Amino acid sequence: MDGSLAKKKILIVEDDRALQSALAEFLLQEGCETINAFDGEEGLQKTEAEKPDLILLDLILPKKDGFEVLAEIMKGPNKDIPVLILTNLEDLDNVQKALDLGAKTFMIKSDLSLRDIVEKVKENLPNADSNK
Amino acid sequence: MFSRFLDDYNFVSSCKKYGLGLWQCPNFLFLMMGFITIVTMVGTYFVSSRFGNEGTTIMSVTFEVAIIFTIGSFIIRGVERVAEANIMKTEFISIISHQLCTPLSAIKWNTEILETERDPKECIPEKQSVFLGNIKKSNEQMLKMVTDLLEVARIDQGRAVFEEKPLDLANLVNESIEGFQSIVAEKNVKIEPQIEPNLQKVCGDEKKMRVVLDNLIGNAIKYSKEGGKVEIKLGMKGRNIFFSVRDWGVGIPHFQHSKVFEKFFRSRNESRYRTDGVGIGLYLVRAILKHCGGKVWFESKAGEGSIFYFSLPIVK
Repeated sequence: MDGSLAKKKILIVEDDRALQSALAEFLLQEGCETINAFDGEEGLQKTEAEKPDLILLDLILPKKDGFEVLAEIMKGPNKDIPVLILTNLEDLDNVQKALDLGAKTFMIKSDLSLRDIVEKVKENLPNADSNK
Repeated sequence: MFSRFLDDYNFVSSCKKYGLGLWQCPNFLFLMMGFITIVTMVGTYFVSSRFGNEGTTIMSVTFEVAIIFTIGSFIIRGVERVAEANIMKTEFISIISHQLCTPLSAIKWNTEILETERDPKECIPEKQSVFLGNIKKSNEQMLKMVTDLLEVARIDQGRAVFEEKPLDLANLVNESIEGFQSIVAEKNVKIEPQIEPNLQKVCGDEKKMRVVLDNLIGNAIKYSKEGGKVEIKLGMKGRNIFFSVRDWGVGIPHFQHSKVFEKFFRSRNESRYRTDGVGIGLYLVRAILKHCGGKVWFESKAGEGSIFYFSLPIVK
């Protein structure tokens, strides 16, 4: 194990249970602690309550969509938590909008394996270098 | 010959095919317009030469112009309906493909979890892992088809994301060849890459350039005969990088050459040999290369094989 993910708290905001459980299980195997949120509002509440090290955020979500969640996080006290977008909405407008709002990176679910996602998480964790 | 001519001008059947009524069908309306123009012209000439009345002549010319404009408006409405149907079709493909992406991604990730289980007690038995491998392979095929369809829709609507960074094509070509190892072994096709050393980089989107190479190299392998050969060349000429891939497979009949890069085109030759694919690979290849300032072309003869070429400008 690389070690850089050990004991890191990752918040997964994803409404599709099949995607969420596979992602959570893989991150768990990597030594992370995972927190799950199944809609935008829950995502915001858990960001506030749990102060995760990194957030994996879907864009199409019930109650509040990913853009709203991202905008609210970036306006609040948790704006330094890296937010990685994980979606299938690969449109120029969406990519640009998410990056403008402050997302660290934009990932397309169908293009990536869980291993690729973990690599991106490692790259974007704060102080990733000092953990290696 | 004559029956083909009649088929070409059978407006009723062609309008039915497009889902348009006769009064919205441009082919029929243009014919009508031509016919009415001739009749009214002759009529105007007859009236003016017989009666020599200026008022009557002006009246009939005005009448004629009015009819032509009315028919013109019908034509525009017909064309609008066809254009709307085309937009709806693109949106429909886009929505369906997008909806399919989530469950397909879920299958992909969940099979990955089963494959990467570390606990030996939880690992699946070897026999079952073969079938899991089959599921994974089929899922990847489906996912590729769906993502290609989505990419076509995005390119058509100008919403595609193109990253621009310097790319080492030689690496990408080698990786693409690597990806076809199992099919190559299955068909016993011999791949002969000739890649010039120290090639300069081109500018483009890595993911999309992979789509270009996978489609061109994949097609050459797919349409090669068992035990055949595929020749891949990558070199530099002037300010451009040139790529070519040659196979000695089924080839494309000459009369279909103009349609090769069209959307949903599938060669008649092709369907005789294979049934998979939806016919968007080469459409994507051309659209992507065009966006990167490149060109794509080919030479092919039915039964003798094809060579596909592309060129891309070297990054300054």
